[in-house]
Amino acid sequence: MIEAHGLTKRYGDKTAVDDITFTIAPGSGTGFLGPNGAGKSTTMRMIMGLDRPTSGTVTVNGKPYAQHRAPLSEVGALLDAKAVHTGRSARSHLRTMAATHNVPASRVDEVIEMTGLATVAGKRVGGFSLGMGQRLGIASAMLGDPRTLILDEPVNGLDPEGVQWVRRLVRSLADEGRTVFLSSHLMSEMAQTADQLLVIGRGRIIAAGRVQEVIDSVSGAAVRVRTPRAAELAELVRGDDVVVTSPEPGTLEVRGIDAARVGDIACGSGIALHELSPRSASLEEAYMSLTQDAVEYRSTTTSPAAPKGANR
Amino acid sequence: MTTTVAVATAVPAHEARPAVLARPTFLGILRGEWIKLLSLRSTWWTLAATVLLMTGVSLAVAASLDTVAADPATGPGLAALTGAEVVSGGFQLGMLTIAVLGALLMTGEFSTGMIRSTLAAVPTRTPVLAAKAIAVAAVTAAVVALGTAVSYTVTMPLLAPHGMVPALDELRTWQVFGGTLYFLVAAALFSLGVGTLLRSSAGAITVALTVLLLLPSFLVFVTLDWVETAVEYLPLPASGAFLGGGEDSLSAVGDGLTPATGLLVVAAYAVVPLVAGAAALRRRDA
Repeated sequence: MIEAHGLTKRYGDKTAVDDITFTIAPGSGTGFLGPNGAGKSTTMRMIMGLDRPTSGTVTVNGKPYAQHRAPLSEVGALLDAKAVHTGRSARSHLRTMAATHNVPASRVDEVIEMTGLATVAGKRVGGFSLGMGQRLGIASAMLGDPRTLILDEPVNGLDPEGVQWVRRLVRSLADEGRTVFLSSHLMSEMAQTADQLLVIGRGRIIAAGRVQEVIDSVSGAAVRVRTPRAAELAELVRGDDVVVTSPEPGTLEVRGIDAARVGDIACGSGIALHELSPRSASLEEAYMSLTQDAVEYRSTTTSPAAPKGANR
Repeated sequence: MTTTVAVATAVPAHEARPAVLARPTFLGILRGEWIKLLSLRSTWWTLAATVLLMTGVSLAVAASLDTVAADPATGPGLAALTGAEVVSGGFQLGMLTIAVLGALLMTGEFSTGMIRSTLAAVPTRTPVLAAKAIAVAAVTAAVVALGTAVSYTVTMPLLAPHGMVPALDELRTWQVFGGTLYFLVAAALFSLGVGTLLRSSAGAITVALTVLLLLPSFLVFVTLDWVETAVEYLPLPASGAFLGGGEDSLSAVGDGLTPATGLLVVAAYAVVPLVAGAAALRRRDA
């Protein structure tokens, strides 16, 4: 369980995280989704007590992280793949971490085995690929067998086999009743790995809920209609809760009623339909629509001249 | 008839049996820092360089004793030089490598990002610095003891003809050896403290070496009274108060201080940056 209340982090006059409040429930994988620079890593560092919030609080299982008696058994974190001294071997790195908590050497071997690092454990981390670095980061996160896992971009740099492995790991950890909080800037990745989503843009939470709920909430389903009498049909279906747009002549997109209702109305007036298809928004569309708003919001406040969609 | 189907209930692993029953302890943190220090190749290079520099300088001084004694200009000054000072003569160069070791111990973590792993494991933070200080002090003491022992052994044949082999039953000998060790441990802690404050390897090493070596070297040429007084309170000159270096050594500048004051001044250089570093480490974002 991770709870944040009014969490804010400002660096000078730049607000990285802007008054966010959320709860991450145990027993599920929660995806923290947002474009680069949205505040994901900053939020995660604040959860881990590495960065001090400008205001607000964040607790893990009821207490600030630093106040737990056995921090590594409470929360395991992959904050960035290379939070490791490059001159040390993977095994030495894990041994230094394990030593602080009196974690037995057998557990170090266990996490090395678990993450598939056995063959490279004696090699210096400086020569590791990004993917191996990720595995080492996950190995250190697992050292204390923690109740909560915080993984910042865990699939970044992994090969397809590694991505599959992370998905299964997240799934099995969540099924064991643990809290798994993982970030990504890829909506498609989150949809396959997480149960819940927390979408952040420009330091603010812009959507939260189950993956499908978030997608639905963004655009809702639309019905695409092609008919020679488009203008006529548009007048007939248009209502208080029904929005009709015409992306091209002879084609309508209707939001607010389902395909069956549109078909009934058309039939009642004898309007021939050439196409009648329900369209649900794709993950990427939902994400773009969510984050573009956030980008737009920022662009207009900080630099009015910036073109729509500009990152900063 | 009823059929009992055995359903394998998935028992949440961590609730049934924690794979790890772990608590952080200061001893554990110390062990972690010890592993950190010894698992880096740079540590071993630095330590080897320290022993080599200490031995090399003492050997060079000992080898030049014949020439110094023969020269009427320097010959009389030789009487003021003790064998113990010859043996410990390399400590100023050893100071350089030890200072680098002390600084890198902390700045290496910031430059690689390791600090985030470290502070995630020990979120109370201060014990990390304390453990680092103990680890680097121990390793410095060991390497200076080794360097002194090696220097003593290799210079013995050269010192013997001059009757200068340090007498191991004399208090004065142990004052010099012990004082050298004390000073180098302080130098290591000083640069660890500076490294904790500055976080950057280049910055910390520059500041540490400036204070330890460059300032006393250059400021001796300034004859303003207040500068001369200030120089006495720099670490290397202050060490002269208890090491009693020869007239031409940098340590001699600190003759104005009593040995006790010298010890305290050197201790202050070790302690003040560490305390300030601890405060900074606790307060600042990692």
